[in-house]
Amino acid sequence: MKEYLKYFLNKLLWFLITFIFAFILNFILPRLMPGDPVAGIVARMAQGMTNTTGVQAIYQQYTQLFGTNKPILEQFFIYVRNVFHGNFGFSFSQYPRTVADVIRSSVWWTVCLQFPAIIVGWIIGNALGALAAYLKGGYDKVLLPISIFVSNLPTFGMAIILLVIFGVDLKWFPTSGGYGFDLIPSLSWKFMWSVIVHYQLPFWSIVLIAIGGQAIGMRSMSIYELNADYVKYSRFMGIKDRKIVGYVFRNAMLPQVTGLALSIGTMVSGALVAEIIFSYPGLGTTLLNAITGGDYPLISAITLIITLMVLMAMFLIEIIYGFIDPRIKATQSE
Amino acid sequence: MLLGACAPAAQAPTAAPAATQAPAPTTAPAPTVEPTVAPGGPLPRNETLYFNGQQWGSVVCWNPYSSSCNNAMAIAQQDNSRVLMFETPYLYDMLDGKSYPLLADGPYAWNDAHTDITFKLKKAAHWSDGTPVTADDVAYTWATNIKYNTSQGANFGAFIDSVTAVDPQTVDVKAKLDSNGQVVNPLEVVAWLDTDYVIQKAWTQKLEARTGGDATKLMADTADDVVYSGPYHKFFADDTKVVLVRDDNYWGQDASMFGKLPIPKYLAHEIYKDNASGTAALQAGEVDVSQQFNSNVQELWQAPLNLPISTYLPDAPYGIGASIPTAYYNMASYGLDQVAVRKAIAMAVDYDTIIANAMTNQSATFEQVPRSLMNPTAGEQALYDSSDPSIKALQWAGKDIDGAKKLLDDAGIKAGPDGWRYYNGKKLTYVATCPNGWSDWQAAIEQVAAAGKAIGIDITTNYPDWSVYQTVITNWPLPTTGYDIFMMYNDGAGPAEPWSRTNKLLNSRYAKTKNNWNGDWGGYVNPAVDALINAIPAETDPAKIKADYTAITKIYLTDVPSFSLMYRPQSFHTVNEIVWTGYPHQGDGTNPPVPPLDLMDGWSVAGLYNLKLVNP
Repeated sequence: MKEYLKYFLNKLLWFLITFIFAFILNFILPRLMPGDPVAGIVARMAQGMTNTTGVQAIYQQYTQLFGTNKPILEQFFIYVRNVFHGNFGFSFSQYPRTVADVIRSSVWWTVCLQFPAIIVGWIIGNALGALAAYLKGGYDKVLLPISIFVSNLPTFGMAIILLVIFGVDLKWFPTSGGYGFDLIPSLSWKFMWSVIVHYQLPFWSIVLIAIGGQAIGMRSMSIYELNADYVKYSRFMGIKDRKIVGYVFRNAMLPQVTGLALSIGTMVSGALVAEIIFSYPGLGTTLLNAITGGDYPLISAITLIITLMVLMAMFLIEIIYGFIDPRIKATQSE
Repeated sequence: MLLGACAPAAQAPTAAPAATQAPAPTTAPAPTVEPTVAPGGPLPRNETLYFNGQQWGSVVCWNPYSSSCNNAMAIAQQDNSRVLMFETPYLYDMLDGKSYPLLADGPYAWNDAHTDITFKLKKAAHWSDGTPVTADDVAYTWATNIKYNTSQGANFGAFIDSVTAVDPQTVDVKAKLDSNGQVVNPLEVVAWLDTDYVIQKAWTQKLEARTGGDATKLMADTADDVVYSGPYHKFFADDTKVVLVRDDNYWGQDASMFGKLPIPKYLAHEIYKDNASGTAALQAGEVDVSQQFNSNVQELWQAPLNLPISTYLPDAPYGIGASIPTAYYNMASYGLDQVAVRKAIAMAVDYDTIIANAMTNQSATFEQVPRSLMNPTAGEQALYDSSDPSIKALQWAGKDIDGAKKLLDDAGIKAGPDGWRYYNGKKLTYVATCPNGWSDWQAAIEQVAAAGKAIGIDITTNYPDWSVYQTVITNWPLPTTGYDIFMMYNDGAGPAEPWSRTNKLLNSRYAKTKNNWNGDWGGYVNPAVDALINAIPAETDPAKIKADYTAITKIYLTDVPSFSLMYRPQSFHTVNEIVWTGYPHQGDGTNPPVPPLDLMDGWSVAGLYNLKLVNP
């Protein structure tokens, strides 16, 4: 137990150090982007205006409001103070909306689309990969090329194929939106059904790509493990095949679990391609618009959430590894 | 006296709008009636008009004092202000260049000293809470815009001294005077009448009270409780759509205005992420009025699609051009101070290809509408002498490679052994640029680069992000490389046009300044042009105005500090007659003519009263 505590504290220390550096980078990197975000806001407002002094007054007003005229160090300390009070400030691009409000309104669309898609893609992909490695023969010969083909399709390619076939040509599914263009959200069955129907194409455009990648990874790991010395030794010992397969897939799963944790950690960044092609609401386009509009507070907040989720996912995985694979704990705590 | 006697034809007001159908009896003011959509039920298709192309992100607020509500269906104070929820005294009609009364009762009039405009308010006009719209509301709105330095206050504060209520129905607008006692800019004073919303005094005071008189808080207020005078108000808004619902007690059904309510009960706008999604929805019958660019729009009604979709004009250019995307020369770039170089590049550009590729022919060509400072509307074209032979000699339609080469040769800018041209021993090398992702502009810039190469001038392209691009070009001096030829938009149609566009293209008051979001980004300076531009707003003689615009056009086409690349409509206007019909089309018989501006901007709002169901 003492060894495990040492391992835990070591991981916690690295977690905190990484978080501090990531926090600083989250603040600095957006501000290193060329371009003046306030100029972008004023450019929108100034269309049609003739009075130069009036336009410049608006510019001054917004630089003061957003604090972009202050030294960067002062801006940083204000940012730190606000974040520790749970306040990410106003979004530049969606002012006067607060960053919290912007994220709150779109994060659930993203989580509800991404989380099930990641889990379903991961389960189906790993099951297919493991089966391909175990069954070999014709099954493997068919699955492998299909998986390679599908996983190498660009996400937008898959989304457009699904859109054209199932949305435009067959008209089985709607082509855009999170729910019916003629509906107002409510707890009615009609609305729920509409959400489910609109969900299908964005969901499968993510899942199909994920299945291919997961299947290839799992197949390779399983083949490696199936040929490992401990498997041969177990067979010589007369241990039942079923028992051996259990060991094999548990070991083959380890890198896949890491991949799953990373995927879940980064899911908040959104499914940008699916969101754009299917006009589906979510954080992906919010983040993209924030980046193109130089919306520092919104970029920093979203990337901070992503950073925290990835770090926490990795931290949890490391801690769980310590339990499920004693070799890792032993190596790390030396 | 009436302004019509002392302003360019484009600003002449008209006595009263002609109702396109018989007026209905007036209803008494009463609180707003709640909408009738059943919980969870769909918006009734035959009562809902669907839009795309206006709203590209979530609605942020409903505050008419804010310029950052991103509320494209309800708030846009501009040359053709959006008047679905908030209303202006007058409505501008880009098709005939006239302004028609909305809240105002009859035409406005300048006083004899030409320092004040007076107009009356309609007695029928009332707010959504049933109280009348008064001159005090107009005056208080102005005072609030000035006090809190809103965008409207910041802009018009330079031209308007005060707005006061003479009596409950009469408003006096006092123009700002210069040191000579002359009105600073009568055109901008007139433009204010079509631009600025009138907002209820009582609600404004409520807003001030809850924001403690703090300007930032006042403009950041989401104003969910705002009182309005327009025919529609908020029904629903989230990250995917915004829906407005008709106020069945709207005052405009009075015989003194439209005589009836607008036909659709609901106006809905799904938030699409790009043009492709919007076009797919239009094809699917989920959009009735499309304000976005639909590539190759004619394919929607041609075989094999054969959809009941149409545009304002049946053939190319399909719409009425109003703005003129323009390429500016950086006058500080080596060799671009030479007129021959500037004109040669402009002459060599293949504009027909730009129009065919970038705009899929949704722009008039420069053969159809020869280049000048005017947009293609009849009102503006009439403001310069297009038949003047000296003007015709200066206009070019493009792809004149031989002419461009000759011009350069004659100026002594000849090609070296490597085929590139040299000026005073230095090779002419430029970068042409526009924001990344603005695909129609990028296609145009590629043609500028190709034109340069065709005449021996090495032009390459570069496409920075908009955030970088606009930061650079609004702050003189421009970089020594990367921004030699660059594109920017300019004004469309409006009550102060074409003066405002001309002013921004050429007036040196904007040249070589920082934080310049107005114009003359290339640094062109010509005192003769400045004098002409500065004189026009105060001119009252139409012949003199026309002569001045003709003179400026000659200088513009001679000096070529910038050049137009295409014409763009004020709003794209593609309509789907799957549910509704009666949209504005050329020759539709409406009088005043309803412009193709999405049925919500300026006088185009009158189109909402002419709609009919395809299957009643």
